[in-house]
Amino acid sequence: MELDVRGLSCPIPLMRTKKALEKNPGTITVLADSGTAKANVVNLLKDTGYDVAVDDTAEGYRINATWG
Amino acid sequence: MSKKRLVGPSAWVFGAAGAIIGVVAALLVSQGNPGNMGLCIACFLRDTTGFFGGAKANMGAVAYIRPEIIGLVMGATATALATKEFRPRGGSGMAYRFVLGFIFMMSALIFLGCTVRAWLRLGGGDLNALWGVLGIIAGVAVGSVFLKRGFNLGRAGSIAKPLGWIAPAIFIVLLALAAVAAFGSTPEGFTVTAAKAVNDLGKPLPGGLRAPFVLSLVAGLSLGVVAQRSRFCSIGGIRDAILVKRFDLLFGVLGLLLGAFVANLVFGQFNLGFAGQPVAHTDALGNFAAMAVAGLAAVMLGGCPFRQVIMSGEGDADAFVAVVGMIVGALAAHWFGIASSAKGLSTLGWPALGVMAVVLVAIALIKRDRAA
Repeated sequence: MELDVRGLSCPIPLMRTKKALEKNPGTITVLADSGTAKANVVNLLKDTGYDVAVDDTAEGYRINATWG
Repeated sequence: MSKKRLVGPSAWVFGAAGAIIGVVAALLVSQGNPGNMGLCIACFLRDTTGFFGGAKANMGAVAYIRPEIIGLVMGATATALATKEFRPRGGSGMAYRFVLGFIFMMSALIFLGCTVRAWLRLGGGDLNALWGVLGIIAGVAVGSVFLKRGFNLGRAGSIAKPLGWIAPAIFIVLLALAAVAAFGSTPEGFTVTAAKAVNDLGKPLPGGLRAPFVLSLVAGLSLGVVAQRSRFCSIGGIRDAILVKRFDLLFGVLGLLLGAFVANLVFGQFNLGFAGQPVAHTDALGNFAAMAVAGLAAVMLGGCPFRQVIMSGEGDADAFVAVVGMIVGALAAHWFGIASSAKGLSTLGWPALGVMAVVLVAIALIKRDRAA
């Protein structure tokens, strides 16, 4: 499952990620392009119980989360 | 789902950031800033606006480029560059953001303080701010409903690098002007309230109340770093608690309140009550309504004015457009006599709040993303 929250104002990245998590995906990738959205999404994923890894790419941050 | 938690470790980061901001704000008051105005984004942008032609726009009493605000932007820019978070971006509903910034400022000047100063006033014992804080909660709650129903100003994208540098560059120019005004002579054509200036009744003019220049600048720089790193927001905590049941950011304003309260006690400037509070009025309903409008505008912008200033420093042109809206709003609020005074709301205060509330709701209904 992949979610693109690039360019969205707070708290829409957080809202969309939370909505996506309602389906309890095993893995989820979120694309974010601001440090704030990245931090918010990473914290939400970690607090929900996911293992999180972030790739810093030219277009922004690729947040890969795995249920674990 | 056993690992699931509602408050994560970032709550400590937000709480500590808020506490630092509260303590530094109280320190600035003890060193000369107006009462409970160690840090106020609305007031400081307004004072800075007064420097430019303030004599003509009824802003002679509040004309002073506040070094704190320059420091905030420069601190944020430096930190964003160091952490590779400086990304020139923009293009998300910019005209709307200008209007939202304008409305935020107008309503903040009817309350007499922004959403940061509301908490600082409360932390200094100004109980009128209690109505303001309740207003913020009401405004944020309404904004959360709009967000839930799909309010969205649209996506921002990458923009040409120089555009992201406009805000930092402007604040560097402001620093030069502020330094000339502080250490040289008043530049011709500008207005500067003399330090410790008083009016005919012997009362000090707010623009003349100021902490030493270098201290204000260093305080601003430090808080710019703290705010950029922590992403502290004075309305986001309430919004996230209502909207996504996340409570970490709420610790930011609680830290702010606690830090300001303790530091004000230590500095001997805590003064509990309603009457005679510095740069405040006692109109409970006016305080509530003004901050409700401001809180709603801030939620629609995606963050409080403090955040808009910090994001301007990170290359966010959308946030800077909101800041420009605030500056124009400050000019209008004084020019047309809409800003409140210690006596209470001006005759135009209530009509202005009514019109602004209608405009906000209209924008919220127009900018709905039905796919959300």
